[in-house]
Amino acid sequence: MKTVFIDCSPKQRLSASGFVATFTRMFVFGRKVQCKLRTPKDFQPIFEEIKDADSIVFCMPLYVDGIPSHILPFLKEMENKFTNKNVYVIANNGFIEGRQNEPLMQNMENFCHRANLNWCGGLGIGGGVMMNVMRIMFCVVCALSLLQVVLNGFDFSLLKDSLDDALVILILCCGIISFDLWLAYCINNGKEYGKHYTRIMLPSFVFIVCADIFFTIISLFQGGIFRGWFSKKKPTM
Amino acid sequence: MKVLLHDLKNIDLTNKADQVIVADGKYAPCQGCFKCWTKHPATCALKDSLQEMCRILGQADELTIITENYYGGYSPNVKRLLDRSIGTSTPMSTYRGGLMHHTLRYWKHDSLRVIVYGDIVEAEKETWRQMVKANSLNNGFTDYSVEFMNEWEGSVL
Repeated sequence: MKTVFIDCSPKQRLSASGFVATFTRMFVFGRKVQCKLRTPKDFQPIFEEIKDADSIVFCMPLYVDGIPSHILPFLKEMENKFTNKNVYVIANNGFIEGRQNEPLMQNMENFCHRANLNWCGGLGIGGGVMMNVMRIMFCVVCALSLLQVVLNGFDFSLLKDSLDDALVILILCCGIISFDLWLAYCINNGKEYGKHYTRIMLPSFVFIVCADIFFTIISLFQGGIFRGWFSKKKPTM
Repeated sequence: MKVLLHDLKNIDLTNKADQVIVADGKYAPCQGCFKCWTKHPATCALKDSLQEMCRILGQADELTIITENYYGGYSPNVKRLLDRSIGTSTPMSTYRGGLMHHTLRYWKHDSLRVIVYGDIVEAEKETWRQMVKANSLNNGFTDYSVEFMNEWEGSVL
């Protein structure tokens, strides 16, 4: 069995879609390949990988309620190139509600029908940016804790606080992890997954405050706050 | 201001709105950097014809989009333009229609009219209705509509 994971994020590094692709890949058996789809140059190598694959997993961000524009020509070229392949989708969006991915899921289902591929369903994740930030934090927390343990002569009692932090992250992501494991199970068994939506386990009003703080800090560092952050700018060109 | 955005080739719609934008695809896709929010607001980091597109779409009271059907969504050229225009909103969030959305940089718009042409099956029509409803809510339009036609008919404008 061969599964091709396609990371559809336009970002070069540290994308949420790349992370969910890598995470899901850990639980899928058999041959597995992960490809990045950013430019038309990536099309042919991915088609080569798909030739002998059983399943394709598209991991993509939600852009303006739909599929990111650079993926559409790839899908068009893929129409009627292959048959008898199972297609799964993992979509993530910045807003907290996973169900905001619904139009994208339908786009992908419509694509499968036109392309004669087996639509097997997808997972829509709300709070994708926060998930991405937390997984980076999780790695940093683990690395720092281990460093602390080593510097203090292998005193493992120091791990307790960092384990608590890691536990909080796991609890906030428990929906994403469990729905993703279920998806991996379906990929492994060639089963239909259906459409499911999950999110970071935070109430939306708390999530909105977190998102506002996140963008305020980034805008402060990048200087956008001082360059007409909310201003109704008129075209100059 | 009435704005018309279309991906029709070799069809001149110049006088059909205050501002007519041809989605010719001669511009790069969005890189997902958010710098149009966080570094140089309402200006895209990519220096091409879409660098200030959000400023035009943001000021549209009535926006009409003419697009070819792609699986119940916009054509690549139109979608590329829309993806590059998220500077119409700000990075701050709020509730609209019971869902989380970004606050608008400009103001509430009157109407979003989407005219879809090309081969469209029933399931795609249903997707389109949901897509335009979601776009309308996302971008703060008071009213929206979606129409379908197998081939472009100029009489609808």
